[in-house]
Amino acid sequence: MQTIQALFQDFSTLYIQEYKPTWLKVKLQNATDIVEVAKALQSNGLTVISTVSPTDFVEDNRIEMNYFFEDILTKRNCWVKVDIPREIEQCVIDSITPIFKGALWHEREAYSMFGVRFTNHPDLRPIIVSQDFYGKTPYRRDFDWAAHEADTLGNIQAIYEDFEQEQAQNETLLDSNSSQMILNWGPTHPASGPIRLKVHCDGEDILGIDPDIGFVWRALEHLVTKKDFVGAIVAVERLCFMDNINSMVGYCQAVEEIANVEISEFAKWMRVLLGEVSRISSHMMGMGNFYNSLGLHTAFMWNVDVREYFLDFLESYSGARIATAAIEPGGVRYTLEEGMLETLQKAIEKFDATKEEIRAIFVKNPTMKSRATTKGILSAQAIEEYSLCGIVARASGVKTDIRLDEPYAAYDQVQMDYVTQQGGSAADRLKMLFDEIEQSVAIVRQAKAHIVANIANGNFNPTKDHMVKVPKKLPKGEAISRVEWARGEVLMHLVTDEKATNPYRLKMKAPSFNHTMILGELLKGESLSDIPLIFGSLYICQGDLDR
Amino acid sequence: MIKIFDFFAHAKSESLWIAHFCTGCCSLEMAAAMGPRYDWERYGYLPTPTPRQADILIITGLVTKKMLPALLRTYAQMPQPKYVLALGACSFDGGPYNDSLAVIKNPTEILPADVFVAGCPPRPEAIVEGLEQIKYKMKHSIPSAASQGGVWKEMKF
Repeated sequence: MQTIQALFQDFSTLYIQEYKPTWLKVKLQNATDIVEVAKALQSNGLTVISTVSPTDFVEDNRIEMNYFFEDILTKRNCWVKVDIPREIEQCVIDSITPIFKGALWHEREAYSMFGVRFTNHPDLRPIIVSQDFYGKTPYRRDFDWAAHEADTLGNIQAIYEDFEQEQAQNETLLDSNSSQMILNWGPTHPASGPIRLKVHCDGEDILGIDPDIGFVWRALEHLVTKKDFVGAIVAVERLCFMDNINSMVGYCQAVEEIANVEISEFAKWMRVLLGEVSRISSHMMGMGNFYNSLGLHTAFMWNVDVREYFLDFLESYSGARIATAAIEPGGVRYTLEEGMLETLQKAIEKFDATKEEIRAIFVKNPTMKSRATTKGILSAQAIEEYSLCGIVARASGVKTDIRLDEPYAAYDQVQMDYVTQQGGSAADRLKMLFDEIEQSVAIVRQAKAHIVANIANGNFNPTKDHMVKVPKKLPKGEAISRVEWARGEVLMHLVTDEKATNPYRLKMKAPSFNHTMILGELLKGESLSDIPLIFGSLYICQGDLDR
Repeated sequence: MIKIFDFFAHAKSESLWIAHFCTGCCSLEMAAAMGPRYDWERYGYLPTPTPRQADILIITGLVTKKMLPALLRTYAQMPQPKYVLALGACSFDGGPYNDSLAVIKNPTEILPADVFVAGCPPRPEAIVEGLEQIKYKMKHSIPSAASQGGVWKEMKF
């Protein structure tokens, strides 16, 4: 920490604060310093940029830029803030993409949502937003949405015309005598989900890929500002339905930090328990999707079968299989009643009964190995450069896991270790999924035993301890919270206003964004038939890609 | 002559293929309905990768502005007779995304649906029940809602 603090002596700062055990929070005075600061931080080991997030303060007439730097080896973090003017013409800052490649799309996102222009950015085009928002600033507080909405059908036609134009342009771009062409992979491809990859290929060989994303852009970050703090979890959990518990945990932790509320020990353990169950159900789908992209549906069927038993537990706890809304600021929403843990026991037994078969048939599958061990290889260096996280990072041998790096809920009391693979190939990522399911089941066992023991000896009261009261109005403040989500690190940056009843700004950094960013690099030189395999192995969910 | 039994409509309705197209999060429960516990294939439903061979288009929840042209194009590529099943609250009125910048509040006004399945997301049993109702419509040669109206006819896609 001291070494990072010393770095800022050369720059004029408004304040330097220690924040949480591993964080340093710095506010720079001059926006022109940001590139030098980024260089200095990078040379001191903070080689990963989590995200770039602007906050729009209308009344102060400024936009505050937030940069989250991270050192994934020694687990140090630095949060750099700087103000820039709000007027569209002067809303300019130097790009840090030439130094941190991982900021490429995050800066494009800030440009499309807030109109912040980045000088020296290699590819400053709008991203995520649909064509009718090009050149507009939808996330600014004073954006006139009602006026924009007046002509919805016209806007949809504009999107279509833009698509037509693009196709016509493709025709003129390519030499009609060559074998080059531009293919659209998705959004109706069975393995793609709602994403379109513009594949520039020569025969079977891929020359380049430009992902077109935003097909499920729901503007969640804007949506939460219209809801109160409890209502916002409806939007937050829809970040991605496959693992919704952990995203709610991240958001609720940020609210609790601003409200200065400490939740009960029982609620912390329940968050671990529910979070791991949710992670298992997500990973089961992930394994199924991986095999689906290879054209084999048996794995999907087997995994979905086991997954149903874990969903039974979520259903017995919250009443809903998927949209549980089970985590709320102040703890967990429901009490733990008799019989619920027995459903969980059944799920664990079902997993134990089938896991050796799944391992033998799917994880050690020779056909899969010969197909996938040489494809989609990511080096540890690429992981850092592009800020990849979660199972993708750990499959390349990078030891990063927020549950251990910055323990939240009751993870500081849980016995666990980093699970990694060394190869970094598509097959390694599949193995990671299975290893993590096993790890999660072990954690679920621990959490269950702990909860049962403490209820028996009277430490936990499952009908009263689940919630602590959180005030409806929150003070002015901001907080960040990080959780290890099924796909990797989710960083929530929550800003509140004076006597706030709803979030002023919530930035959700979601892992699939970075994982899609690297697709172009990963697929260059491969053949067309490898797209589903490599895309499936990156464990991308369009829900958190677009938000 | 009184028609007692339309053989072809009956035969069509017992083997319904579904266009494999995800517009939103309800597709996760659609996947569960495909799985071994709910197993919609018992009733003759099968997802097919190409709309050219599909009988049913499922609007799986929310439809964003960007997604709508692709959805309409998929629908247009399907052969007659074709039916639309709308899942979840989003396809009716935007559901939880009613206040969202990018989501169309009433996609079924643009592409009318034959059957709505309530829920957010609907349970797999409910999805199968919704499909059964489409099967009934097909068996009795009831014309689909989208063939009779909707904004989609005036749109370019």
